[in-house]
Amino acid sequence: MAHKTLVIDLDRCLGCFSCEVACKMENGVALGVYFNKVLTIGPTGTFPDVEMYFLPTVCQECADAPCVKVCPTGASYKTEDGIVLINKDICIGCRYCMMACPYGARSFNNDAKVVEKCTLCVHLQAIGEQPACVKNCCGKARLFGDIDDPASDVSKALKAAGSDAVHSLPDVGNHPSVRYILHRKTATWQQSQPENTGRESQNG
Amino acid sequence: MGNEWALVFFTAFVGLGSGTFVAVGVSEWWEEDAQVRLRGGILALIALAAGGFSSVLHLGHPERIFGALGHPTSGIFMEALMIGLTGLCAVAYLIALRRGASGQVRKRIAVIGAVPAILLAFAVGDTYVMASRPAWDTLLLPMVYLISAALLGCLSLGVLMARQQKAEAVVALKWTTLGVLALQGVVVIAYLVAVAVAPYPNATRSVIRVLTGNLAPLFWGGVVLVGLLVPSSLTIAKRAAAPLPVAAATFALVCAFVGAASFRLLMFNLGTSVWHFF
Repeated sequence: MAHKTLVIDLDRCLGCFSCEVACKMENGVALGVYFNKVLTIGPTGTFPDVEMYFLPTVCQECADAPCVKVCPTGASYKTEDGIVLINKDICIGCRYCMMACPYGARSFNNDAKVVEKCTLCVHLQAIGEQPACVKNCCGKARLFGDIDDPASDVSKALKAAGSDAVHSLPDVGNHPSVRYILHRKTATWQQSQPENTGRESQNG
Repeated sequence: MGNEWALVFFTAFVGLGSGTFVAVGVSEWWEEDAQVRLRGGILALIALAAGGFSSVLHLGHPERIFGALGHPTSGIFMEALMIGLTGLCAVAYLIALRRGASGQVRKRIAVIGAVPAILLAFAVGDTYVMASRPAWDTLLLPMVYLISAALLGCLSLGVLMARQQKAEAVVALKWTTLGVLALQGVVVIAYLVAVAVAPYPNATRSVIRVLTGNLAPLFWGGVVLVGLLVPSSLTIAKRAAAPLPVAAATFALVCAFVGAASFRLLMFNLGTSVWHFF
């Protein structure tokens, strides 16, 4: 079964926020709301041995998505490609999916009174294009494809990186599918949420 | 999460409604005045309706709620079903009372109705048990909801019985109320222990924040003082064989309701996700 997702090479990410801007432009994401957000992890360590990396965050397209399980109307669902989507026409805006997401990757649209999230730009996929964040990544750090297909670009990139350099966000039974590539030469992967990600002032 | 007021009032009113209905049913065995049970049944219905109304205020599109009927595994479906069944049993009980049905029939309705009422009080807390929110991922959370519903039920029955003179029932209610208050205290402490040892520790959901941080006024003032100590003092203070005056009994009930709401606010403030991106 296919599972389309993102693989993000943090060795290549330069923290330019192009993915963030492209996502907001492509999907008309409201001011103060994000489907895709780049966090700054670090600096960690003690001077002069300090390190830092950028972590583009997005819906993790979980294999066992808790947001889909708790949805009372079936508005949150998984496509045959493994992508988690929201049918806004039947969403009742109860926000239980937002509570069920371990990463806070969903947001409430105060105008439409429904929950929203990254769609991996399914509308662009439908015309054979890549998601906006992937297309506009100037560092070529983002890859999109079927992680279950060994011949896909994402699978090849993961294989080339080596298992020690492949990371994912904390798994509480949801099995996130987005993978991050980060080699020790760049920085040490931080498994828990840092106190400061450089974006707190913008969160209000 | 912020203070989800609609959900706070939804779960608190549902606790009051289900607790009152069960307490009124228990009073069937104490052979209380039919007026007490009639008023209790009506109070339970009003509280359930208020809870249902509060839950609707939380929804972005309440007009689409019937879509939930197609997904019986969701928490919202379970809550809606149990509210409906409890309300139905409360109506049946009131009709039985009005028509002068025998005690046997009324007791049967009370027992049948207690099942969805107890499940409802538990379910409104169980909906929040999620691995994504470490401070909520414990069954002690719905236990607090369940026992707070029992407490609200005992105290609302105390208000309804305030003018009764039957010593046996008054004493039974007093000791039941004190037992439930003690249990509530124990479960709240156990919940805080569960929060302390929960995985993915974070300052936003730490016990230090509850005991000495910015949530301390809510915990010590709302949950402990107003929600537990004031109702306990009023219950202990009353003479063994005499009910509390109506005003004091009502005050104890209001305090317990404020305590229940305070715990829910505390819970929402502790309910941060494992790693919050946005």
